[in-house]
Amino acid sequence: MITFKDVSLVYPNGTQGLKHVNVTIDEGEFVVIVGLSGAGKSTFIRSINRMVTPTYGELYVDGENVIQLQGKELRKLRTKVGMIFQNYNLVNRSSVMKNTISGRLGHTGTLRSILNLYSKKDRALAYENLKRVNIEEYVYQRADQLSGGQQQRVSIARVLTQEPKIILADEPVASLDPPTSHQVMKYLKKINQEDHITTIVNLHFIDMAMEYADRIIGMRDGEIVFDGPASEVTEKTFEEIYNRPIREHDLRGSE
Amino acid sequence: MENNGSLPPKPERLKQKRIRNLVIAVILLVIYIWAFSGVIRAMDWSMLQKLDENIRQVLPKLFSPDLTEWRKVFDKILETIFIAYAGTLIAAILAVPFGFWAAKNMVKSPVWNTMGKWFLILDRTFPELILAIIFVISVGPGAFAGVLTIGLTAFGMLGKLYAEVIESIDMKVVEAMEANGANKIQILFYGIMPQVLPEFLSFALYRFEIDIRASTILGLVGAGGIGTLILITAQNRNWPQLGFIIISIVVVVIAIDYISGKLRKRLV
Repeated sequence: MITFKDVSLVYPNGTQGLKHVNVTIDEGEFVVIVGLSGAGKSTFIRSINRMVTPTYGELYVDGENVIQLQGKELRKLRTKVGMIFQNYNLVNRSSVMKNTISGRLGHTGTLRSILNLYSKKDRALAYENLKRVNIEEYVYQRADQLSGGQQQRVSIARVLTQEPKIILADEPVASLDPPTSHQVMKYLKKINQEDHITTIVNLHFIDMAMEYADRIIGMRDGEIVFDGPASEVTEKTFEEIYNRPIREHDLRGSE
Repeated sequence: MENNGSLPPKPERLKQKRIRNLVIAVILLVIYIWAFSGVIRAMDWSMLQKLDENIRQVLPKLFSPDLTEWRKVFDKILETIFIAYAGTLIAAILAVPFGFWAAKNMVKSPVWNTMGKWFLILDRTFPELILAIIFVISVGPGAFAGVLTIGLTAFGMLGKLYAEVIESIDMKVVEAMEANGANKIQILFYGIMPQVLPEFLSFALYRFEIDIRASTILGLVGAGGIGTLILITAQNRNWPQLGFIIISIVVVVIAIDYISGKLRKRLV
């Protein structure tokens, strides 16, 4: 469970990332955060694994206030919270396997990981996760030989290998074409349903948000301006969140 | 209709720029003429005649190499290569921590980072031969002084190049690893090293090419290698042997440049 209690964040340059955010996300939910760029979506999800640090309020992840965490305890939090990025963030020159098993880094001792001494179980887990996203045939290829959609699937496998309780995805489909976008969202949804991993996804495509989310949170200027089940959401809701009429580029389009 | 299809008039700024460039060109021309007229006036023309004579005497001897001492030349060239190799190896390893120290994206404190950069600049300000003389005095003449000289000069350049490679890496990978709970050492080995190692090796090989050439002249000040032999041979006016030495050096340098070029292509 994730609880934001009156959380605010001001960046050193004075930009207000979050303004008095209060929200609770339950275990196993599939939440999509929508909003225009600069609305605070990224700041919101990056606060959860403390890639950014809120300047005010309390933020509980799994019952623990994470705002003060440092060093070893912060790393422990991050092993529980997996993250997927817009640009996949794989090591181009390393193999798909090495990229995937790097999800185990937080669980593995420094020396063992440097010497590449992973247990059979860890290796099997990494391979199993590559299979889950149907990318196992590329296991020994270099990451940069894969297409964008394939790389994003490897990064999903990397996150799964971490065995997280929560998955954060920061604009995971913004660099992909419509069919690949849907494929990636379907994998995320499937994992959420099968493993009951709480999943929070940032999106700015409203049609995708409506199709995949259980719950939609709308943000504008660092504030939560909408929070409700996806079934209650209409285009009008989005016009309220965005504070302007819906345009064509707000839609990803179907497969 | 007169102006139809023609470009709009040039802004005043461009005209001024043209006048400025013209002035610079005229000033440069005047300096050149002044400099060369001085050279022509001060020139001792009989020197040309002597040069012609010397070339006629020396060149043919240089191109009829004397192979009788090939064993000695071979040994000294081997020593030269070893000096370059050992020196570059020391530098290539020593430069890694200093490269990280001088890389902006690896060091949080700008002051500390600038100190790293300055340290490498300081090292690069020493001319090779001066360093060689210092080492010959402090550790005695011979190959060891040469290795230290090459090691220290190559270290300054490689440190700077390594730092630039590190500054150009994709930090998003580092972010991804921070986000999955990896510690700093794990990030170094999983996120940074795979990105920089091929470039590090490539630069080290390139520096090895330079060091082969550099170590051939270190012997002039007694720091080992073929240089000492060149000096003695030239002082004895033994032109056929000098010719052989020079040809051998050329062959070795070309061969090593070729091999290392091929290797570097495969690395990156």
